[in-house]
Amino acid sequence: MDDKVKTAETSSGHVKVVENATCTFCGCVCDDMVLTVDLDQKKITKAKNACVLGRAWFAEHVHEDNVPPALLDGQPVSVEAAIEEAARILVEARFPITYGLSDTTCEAQREAVAITDMIRGNLDTTTSVCHGPSGLAFQGIGESTMTLGEVKNRADLVIYWGGNPAESHPRHFTRYAVTPKGMFTPNGKKDRYVVLVDVRRTPSAPVADLFLQVKPGHDFELAWALRALVRGRRLDPGIEEATGIPLATLTDLAARMKSCRYGVLFFGMGLTMTRGRHFNSGAVLALATDLNEYTHFVAKPVRGHGNVTGADNVVSWQTGFPFGVNFSRGFPRFNPGEFTTVDTLSRGDADAALIVASDPAANFPKAAIEHLGRIPVISLDAKETATSRLARVAFRTATYGISVAGTVYRMDDVPITLRTAFESKLPSDEDILTALRTRIKALLLARGQAAKSRSAATRTAA
Amino acid sequence: MSLRLQLRTRPEVPVEADALAPDRLQGLKTPEVESLPLIHGNENCVVGDFFAADGECNGELHLEGDLSRIKHLGSGMKSGTLHIHGDAGAHLGVGMSGGQVIVDGNAGDWVGPEMSGGRICVKGNAGHMVGAAYRGSPMGMTGGEIIIGGCARNELGHGMRNGLIAVGGDSGDFTGVNMLAGTIIVLGRLGLRPGASMKRGTIVTLHDSELLPTFSYACCFRPPFLGLYLLHLRQLDLAVADAHISGRYARWCGDSIELNRGEILLYKT
Ligand code: SF4
Repeated sequence: MDDKVKTAETSSGHVKVVENATCTFCGCVCDDMVLTVDLDQKKITKAKNACVLGRAWFAEHVHEDNVPPALLDGQPVSVEAAIEEAARILVEARFPITYGLSDTTCEAQREAVAITDMIRGNLDTTTSVCHGPSGLAFQGIGESTMTLGEVKNRADLVIYWGGNPAESHPRHFTRYAVTPKGMFTPNGKKDRYVVLVDVRRTPSAPVADLFLQVKPGHDFELAWALRALVRGRRLDPGIEEATGIPLATLTDLAARMKSCRYGVLFFGMGLTMTRGRHFNSGAVLALATDLNEYTHFVAKPVRGHGNVTGADNVVSWQTGFPFGVNFSRGFPRFNPGEFTTVDTLSRGDADAALIVASDPAANFPKAAIEHLGRIPVISLDAKETATSRLARVAFRTATYGISVAGTVYRMDDVPITLRTAFESKLPSDEDILTALRTRIKALLLARGQAAKSRSAATRTAA
Repeated sequence: MSLRLQLRTRPEVPVEADALAPDRLQGLKTPEVESLPLIHGNENCVVGDFFAADGECNGELHLEGDLSRIKHLGSGMKSGTLHIHGDAGAHLGVGMSGGQVIVDGNAGDWVGPEMSGGRICVKGNAGHMVGAAYRGSPMGMTGGEIIIGGCARNELGHGMRNGLIAVGGDSGDFTGVNMLAGTIIVLGRLGLRPGASMKRGTIVTLHDSELLPTFSYACCFRPPFLGLYLLHLRQLDLAVADAHISGRYARWCGDSIELNRGEILLYKT
């Protein structure tokens, strides 16, 4: 048994303590959890070190023995029968799309990529609706990157732009970027200057030494003004009217950025999902690039879902592109706007969908959801969702990080291994997707052979 | 005699029709045309599965029906005329180097990406990325003309290196972003942040526009070249008034983050 897992009989029953467990709720992927698991009731009673979100995440998972693992048109069926139907749908489709992937393990993501490649489908992840624009900007501008450990040990200027980590990633401040004491930041917060750029004062603001309230929708202009100042260009004082921030404040900040020892820009969805999208992230990345002429500066998106970074990594290493990849012609092509899921659904291009661990039927635009209702959908999720309710084939799978082990990536592209708290009778996403891939392969082989013998027959007849 | 292809079956999923360019169909008999390959989603099909062919191509190809789901029409064409009597799908005239494409209706995203010559005239509206660079590529169109009668959406002329793009209506955000050279003339209004990161090149609009802080005012003048361009556009049926041809334009230089050799001309009187 893993020496990090201890089981003990206590007066209240059979209890297990899992040390160094990992929380997969947000992109921080904290791997210092100490979970106390009640093995009789199969639930986590205590999650030491977790933040409020993490505690809620661990508390809400109780073992569900009675849920059927597979539904076909809402009726319970065997997993095999559901796999058979799912494989048939995907093999027969002309423009099948795969979407989701951010809340599952890298091992399952890999299977989903293989399936999409085999069926010549269209592959996209939830990145396309959160930091997809940053993915585009990385390609256009490049990324000056780091790990969060480096930030903890070295960063003396930390800028958060368009995000509210106090509420979305509660331990980002305390574990990585603001208060922890590091090798070259022995006094923690005292050794750092923290800047927050946002359109309104959020609960993250008290942490900041400088809060810049940018006019809504003018982040690009602000980043552009900072770039100009860093490059020593003259700016008109009218910039205050355009961005909401006085020229003197910007000049000071630009000087501080150039003179810091190690600066970091963390940017969030306030930047990527407002008008300008990939150009907003691109402007911030370019600002970091410019600053490297003077000092060491890095930029990193603050990623949301547990393993969305893993999805980017897995899809990139297998196809060469992070999201919005199309295999219709047998080789990967990348074109966000054409091959991203909101577009393939809203335009009515897709004729079947495999949705893994995400709920587009709840949060996509109306036209996309309507199209999703018209085509056969196969869904894999650890809970019942709007998507699983409209799916023709719905698999119920075990939760990653709680009942499924595997690998997830933290937002700084560091892979982290998961430890399970308790077993589940439900299959994992990986189990289902592997079985589906095997069945699809067999069907495609049979189809290839049938086509071959058909053409041989035509030749003989001729 | 020209070749007519009539769409008889509307495709269920997008079709990629790289084969449908007049120079590629030159001299082919109807059955040969109908057996040319198309890609319907992930399936290999032939032209005859969707189109009925009539006539023989002598450099003129007419496509009829709603082609908004047919992508890559006129891709890589070098000569001849492709006339689309209806709407056209995405990637129209991708990488073309000569000849002419006429669209009577609207066109999808990516009209004439990375084209190097020839002319595309869209009578209706066009989508995003007209004359743009593909993602990951540094350079958009390097020559030729794209004339859009209606409006165009975002990133018009992204990374454009040479040539002319004219829009009769408004353009979207980031018109001429990362532009390296060339001319963009928008008779309507420019969207937000025109010319961001432009190195050289000219963007003209007949209206006022809010510019980025990295653009600076230079002067107000009568650009002699512009009269010639506008006369040319008037011949191509864009609504250009005499006052625009002889008018004065405010010249703004930018983008100072880059070379500062680009210009945005705003019509004054
Ligand atoms: S910060 Fe995120 S990963 Fe860490 S405990 Fe909280 S919710 Fe979990």
